[in-house]
Amino acid sequence: MKLLSKYNRVNILATVLVLLVSGIGYYFILKFVLINQLDKDLKLEEQEVKDYIKLNNNLPNAANYKDQKVAYEQTNETIVKRKIISIDVFNADENETIPSRQLNFTIIVAGKNYKVSITKSQQETEDMVQLIVSITLIIVLVLLLVLFIINRFVLNKLWLPFNNTLSEIQQFNLSNKKTMRLDNSSITEFKELNNAVTTMSNRVLKDYDALKSFTENASHEIQTPLAVINSKLELLMQSENFTELQMQYIQTINGETSRLAKLNQSLLLLTKIDNQQFTTTEEVNIAAIINKHINNYEELFAAKQITLTKNINEQTIVLMNETMAEVLISNVITNAIKHNIEKGSINIELNKNELIIKNTGPVLNTVPHQLFERFKKDNVNSESLGLGLSIVKKIAEQNHFTISYNYSNSFHIVRVLFTI
Amino acid sequence: MKILVIEDEKTLSESIVTYLKGQDYVCEAATDFNTATEKTELYDYDCILLDITLPGGNGLAILKELRANNKTDGVLIISAKNSIDDKVTGLTLGADDYLSKPFHLSELSARIAAIIRRKKFDGSSIIHFNNICIDTQAKTAAVNNINLDLTKKEFELLLYFISNKRRVISKNAIAQHLWGDEMEGNLDFIYTHIKNLRKKLQELDADYIKSVYGMGYKFTDS
Repeated sequence: MKLLSKYNRVNILATVLVLLVSGIGYYFILKFVLINQLDKDLKLEEQEVKDYIKLNNNLPNAANYKDQKVAYEQTNETIVKRKIISIDVFNADENETIPSRQLNFTIIVAGKNYKVSITKSQQETEDMVQLIVSITLIIVLVLLLVLFIINRFVLNKLWLPFNNTLSEIQQFNLSNKKTMRLDNSSITEFKELNNAVTTMSNRVLKDYDALKSFTENASHEIQTPLAVINSKLELLMQSENFTELQMQYIQTINGETSRLAKLNQSLLLLTKIDNQQFTTTEEVNIAAIINKHINNYEELFAAKQITLTKNINEQTIVLMNETMAEVLISNVITNAIKHNIEKGSINIELNKNELIIKNTGPVLNTVPHQLFERFKKDNVNSESLGLGLSIVKKIAEQNHFTISYNYSNSFHIVRVLFTI
Repeated sequence: MKILVIEDEKTLSESIVTYLKGQDYVCEAATDFNTATEKTELYDYDCILLDITLPGGNGLAILKELRANNKTDGVLIISAKNSIDDKVTGLTLGADDYLSKPFHLSELSARIAAIIRRKKFDGSSIIHFNNICIDTQAKTAAVNNINLDLTKKEFELLLYFISNKRRVISKNAIAQHLWGDEMEGNLDFIYTHIKNLRKKLQELDADYIKSVYGMGYKFTDS
């Protein structure tokens, strides 16, 4: 739930609740006060009647107005308890019952017992209460509307710097080296947030750069000693009269040095892709590259007696870096050869949108998605470096291609989806 | 054939010189920028091996100077950087080839041979080894004037062997030369490939390929 809607919900709920409770309380207090006033009027009227009787020794005229009515009734009861009650009086004129207050008391006039009842209509009181309640309700509605507008426009505007910061963080990508552009905010909290985020991202970028240049420098520095070792080894190989065991040692050293050299080269390549050194793009004819590599690896297919079938759209053009395209294609093809079985098969399919390479091969032991991770190999003892597919993945990422692997019908399927 | 090795790493420079001398080249070495410029100004070489990062200056400056003076020495850049930019800059400045470190000496030797062949203006592109005759331009090979029916890779392999005659070449070097850098892991298929070439050479009594146990192959008539 959004902070804003959560806040709104609490805010509106509290506002409505307070207004409702105070509205009800207000209604009752108001009614109580008004009825109290009405009762005072009734008592005043009673006093007037009593004063009149004392002065004139007879009953004043009965009165029947719309809002006040005085009635007399001779009664045998000596004393009627003096009290004020609420009654509904039926008004025949308007054909409606009107809530009223009535004061009943007894009085002796000329030796006769009379019951006097003074009735005052509550109509006006009710009207006033209704008016007040209506006004209150209108105020509530207006208040809610204002709150809504404030939330909708003002709060959204208030949160704008936060949302900007958030989208900058979301777009933050270590590899594109772009520092965050955070707008200045006059609000302390956002200012602090932006400062913290900027400091953090700068530190991360710096660390990442340091790490990258370290990797690249380390790889470069390794090249020269490797070249020296390689060359001395080749010179050593020219000597004669080695024992068989010595030759075996040399072969092992030779093999491992080559492996180290290739490992270093692959790591360097990965770092370079990371360092955006292959960003120049051009229209690359993928089909031509595939055909070139198939021809190049002809002997490798033959050695394993691999059957190659292909279904290639010769007009497949992808906008990308040509070097990267070469590396991508040669990696997926050598991968399919390397991890194949004797007399296996490879199927290459290429159309405008995707490249699918299927190959036979032993079932994997590792989780498929780990195949794209560095140094993940299915067979720990295999002579492969375990970097081929992670290079492929890196290239795919750089070019916003989607890459996937799955295994079905005893075929390993690597799929590269171009976004054209 | 005269070759100048400009490389600041002394041990590597020594290896290169030793190997190339065994290939009947006359070699000189320079380990810093000033010595290198001095030598290139004074003498002509058939091929110059040029390292880019040198004490005292950038190797590319030497290349620029050479071409500015209309010198036609072949230039092979050897760099640890393996950066596309360096490669492109080097080649635009007039380098003939680019080889990144670490490399096999046999590969280096083959590249030098190719550069020198290309630089020769007498139109000759024929290489002889005993009864074998290779036309590098037509990409054909013959033994005693009988054409060898070779695949493209077999031709390249034969040329590679002859560029490194009487030297032991490792299987890794062969694999990398023929199939590129991506080759890794099991190299058994090379055996089959070489066997095919040997069979064709044997038929014409020209099989000079010797298997050197545990290390690789040697193309030799001795």
